[in-house]
Amino acid sequence: MTKKLTKKDINKVYIRNLFGFQWGWNYERMQGLGYAFSVMPALKKLYSDDPEKMKKALKTQLGFFNTTPAMSSLIIGADLALEEEFGMEDEASITGLKTALMGPFAGVGDTLFIAIYRAIVFSIAAYMAQSGQVVGLLIPLICGIGVMLVRYKFIHLGYAQGKKIATEFADKMKILTEAAAILGLTVVGGLIPSVITYQLDLTYEMGEVTFSVQEMLDRILPGLVPLGIVFLCYWLLGKKKVNSTRLIFFLIFLGMILGNLQSILGIIF
Amino acid sequence: MTLSYGIILILCLYTAIGVLDQISVQIGPYTPLFAATATGFLMGDLQTGLMVGATLQLMTLGVASYGGATVPDFLSGAIMGTAYAILSGNGVEYGIGIAVPIGLLLTQLDILGRMTNSFFQHKADKYAETGDYKGVERCNVLGILPWTISRMLPIFIGLVFGEQVVTLINEMIPAWVMTGLSAAGAILPAMGIAILMRYLPIKKYWPYFIIGFVLLAFGAEFFSVLGVALVGLALAGMYVTNQNNSGVLATANGNITCEDEEIEIDD
Repeated sequence: MTKKLTKKDINKVYIRNLFGFQWGWNYERMQGLGYAFSVMPALKKLYSDDPEKMKKALKTQLGFFNTTPAMSSLIIGADLALEEEFGMEDEASITGLKTALMGPFAGVGDTLFIAIYRAIVFSIAAYMAQSGQVVGLLIPLICGIGVMLVRYKFIHLGYAQGKKIATEFADKMKILTEAAAILGLTVVGGLIPSVITYQLDLTYEMGEVTFSVQEMLDRILPGLVPLGIVFLCYWLLGKKKVNSTRLIFFLIFLGMILGNLQSILGIIF
Repeated sequence: MTLSYGIILILCLYTAIGVLDQISVQIGPYTPLFAATATGFLMGDLQTGLMVGATLQLMTLGVASYGGATVPDFLSGAIMGTAYAILSGNGVEYGIGIAVPIGLLLTQLDILGRMTNSFFQHKADKYAETGDYKGVERCNVLGILPWTISRMLPIFIGLVFGEQVVTLINEMIPAWVMTGLSAAGAILPAMGIAILMRYLPIKKYWPYFIIGFVLLAFGAEFFSVLGVALVGLALAGMYVTNQNNSGVLATANGNITCEDEEIEIDD
């Protein structure tokens, strides 16, 4: 290949990958259409004067693709390097690279950029909002810009490393994911007593004295009721028939009982 | 209070931005937290918006679209729930109670939108046959339509008929349901946390979970979630340092040495 991709070309791909990657998401090829859209500036540069190669390239890049959007930047970067070096002489290696990387990268990416990211960033923002502070909303915005910068690094790193990316990057990401999981679990543990605000509204009388059940429980372990409810949900989610929608209905039902506990017990006893 | 068409249109536009954020950079507008806050702000009751948004956000922390799975549309749910709460003057719990079923109901429209996009995929395949790359690009851009319309349409209808719906609900709901909804709102965040625990390696790293819990259960006066996050960051840093050290030792001695971590917590 005589034609070279410039930094400007890669940046064009980066912007499209950032914003347009899932516009055309569909059940058949998932991110396939968005992938082709993202790499189009590079395809135009390399094949615009060769209709046959362009047809081949379009067909290759419209193929099935699905991974965590953040990780796709890395794969696209590596793809551009291959594309520039071998072009459509060897389209099988490009498809090979894409399909080989999307699975493992989705595993790491969904954990790191979706589960742990939300556990930390959006839980802190919501926790601050719960106490009436709007300023907490800045946290996701700042972190979101951070992720965009990471993806900028990803696409250029992928381009610089090409095929090597598969082996060299995986190990580093693994340690990072483990460390992030530790951070995420610490936050998740802290969330339980602070954001589940339910208090048992239950009292019983013994002669002249009225006891509050919640106060007694607090003396054993503060946050015992929230912890119990969370582990109940955790256990239920492990059941095959329970998904998040069913769990919502269960929790609303549980809320109906817990909210009217005093009167329900009054009727029974 | 009544909703002017101006505000309804701005909220529709917000929903479109929200869903585009959801399928791209996920910086914030797509979350129930941002959507409810924006609705509250536009309708002149920021606090209600913040509270509805916070609870819905915590409830849906773990509910994310992994691998393209459809999840309840809590973006639209948050907007309508907040709007109805403010319109009726019934408060935060009412808003949450409305937002949840709406979010679940609109799941179907998300599926419909994603199915519609297959049409553009097929069109793009045809353009590819002839090498028409501009056509392929256009197909992806047109994919924006099913995404945004599937969100804007229900929001528009729901808000235009807002007052009628609110009066209807008010006449139907008995007092014990409102008490129950209030308790449900307080325990719903448990779901978000439980789903996250399913995705995180809690069986492997349970000690860190206990540290986080204890810090805020007993030390709520000294700690905030941000403070606990910093403790977590320190623990994560120690893990990375230990990993790197044992890596160096392993290459130097030819075997892997494990170091025990010591964690002290001063209360």
